[in-house]
Amino acid sequence: MSDWNLKDQTAVCGVGHSPFGKRLNRSTIDLGGEAIRNALEDAGLNKNNLDGLIASFGTPIGADADTLAYALGLKLRMYNQTWAHGRFTASCLQWAAMAVKAGLANYVACLASISFSGFRKPMMGGASDNEGAREGGGGHGEDPVYGMTSPGAGSALIAQKYFAKYGATSCQLGAVAVAFRKHAALNPAAMMRTPISVEDHQNSRFVCEPLRLLDYCQINDGAACVIVTTSERARDLKKPPVFISGMQGLPAGREEFIWTHPGFGVAQQSVFDYQPELQPVYRMAGVTHADIDALFTYDAFSILVWSALERWGFCRPGEAAAFTQDGRIEVGGALPINTNGGLMSEGHIMGWNHQVEIVRQLRGECGPRQVANAQVIQWANAYGDSLIYRR
Amino acid sequence: MTDYKKPLPAISTLNGPYWDGLKQRELKMPSCNDCGKLWYPPAPFCPECWSRNFTWRQLSGRGTVNSWVVFHQAYFSSYKDDVPYNVAEVELEEGPRLLTNLVGIANADIVIGMSVEIVYDDVTDEVTLAKFRPTEQ
Repeated sequence: MSDWNLKDQTAVCGVGHSPFGKRLNRSTIDLGGEAIRNALEDAGLNKNNLDGLIASFGTPIGADADTLAYALGLKLRMYNQTWAHGRFTASCLQWAAMAVKAGLANYVACLASISFSGFRKPMMGGASDNEGAREGGGGHGEDPVYGMTSPGAGSALIAQKYFAKYGATSCQLGAVAVAFRKHAALNPAAMMRTPISVEDHQNSRFVCEPLRLLDYCQINDGAACVIVTTSERARDLKKPPVFISGMQGLPAGREEFIWTHPGFGVAQQSVFDYQPELQPVYRMAGVTHADIDALFTYDAFSILVWSALERWGFCRPGEAAAFTQDGRIEVGGALPINTNGGLMSEGHIMGWNHQVEIVRQLRGECGPRQVANAQVIQWANAYGDSLIYRR
Repeated sequence: MTDYKKPLPAISTLNGPYWDGLKQRELKMPSCNDCGKLWYPPAPFCPECWSRNFTWRQLSGRGTVNSWVVFHQAYFSSYKDDVPYNVAEVELEEGPRLLTNLVGIANADIVIGMSVEIVYDDVTDEVTLAKFRPTEQ
């Protein structure tokens, strides 16, 4: 596969978000509008500059792109929207980058505006969850006929297998939750800021065993927006550009199970010894693992962090459990992960809050949780999509 | 039987033979007549060679536990009285893996790799589910 000539050609010029919280009692249009407005202001732009919009994702728990354009009085030349949930983040930014580079739009707002807690219950994993109603397992793993109804259960299936295969423990998984809560305590926007210990993790109830409550993300409302433009335009705006150096969209197929890396042998995946290789995203960005100053990943469930570390080659298979101990993934550690507190502690905006944090980190705006001299940051998910940003 | 409140499968032209098979106490999956691949969930093409030339082959109903979880939270009210209940992924002798429930065993005794065999659970007059129990030695 040849590299696209898109390395550093596009940039994030503005980021913004709404408050994150449970049952905010605000519509997704309202929250989304606030996030877009804040992002425009961050960039030094106004709504008349905005001619592209990508909604990740639409109804029932998100805000549709066309409804938003109508309600907010936007004049769009280009818009797009994804199907539910958080694995489309890199793909959305990839589409936005292509759109601005191709001249389809000048400024594309990528938005997630969602109301998980405001939606009729039970949403996640229940009767009104489209994915929970899916049969036959597949890449997301639900099968309600046998009571396999929640996304977390797919992750629990992996955790059980991971524990058995590598001798890892729930205590070790607890370290991931503890690290992210430490980060959240330094982040005024975070929903959950009270520090937790591994003991608290072990004392939290099972939701889907072997995963406990503190292995799970928040279920909340909120919105986050990232505005993409060409690097040329971004250089003339209010804030320093954060360049998109590498990108790799979402893979799909029988070898993919979104909660783990290929070869693990769940759902209909083959079993093979996964050999992490240099992924196209590194080649495109012209960097190696050693250049990555911080890693951000979709942490709906703690075990996903282990899967991401192994899929992207930061750890060999089975080594992520040990790697995530002793502060190594905390600010000041070898590889800080999710310095915003992640979905588990800052809030669940499907990874879009992570993009906001990455941009702020690369601009040096993160105060007490700032990664010293952050130059290159990677977004990389257990299920294979990735972005590499640089300042 | 009619008071069964849990989710039921959406039976379609695609998966009809699978569910008909279970009702007849046969675990059947599509099997490619050209390349020999056997697949699940049902799909109208062989995912290996894209042949449409396949037959529904009866399987042994034997397998091993690939992984398993225990739900402590009921996401559908109809599962409320069942928690904590298990869901297991069984790897069939023939290769495909099925999500299912293990019966005839305490959750605490489930072990990855244990041998299991199919039992047919007629949950309604129309629907039979494929559940698994430890293989009798």
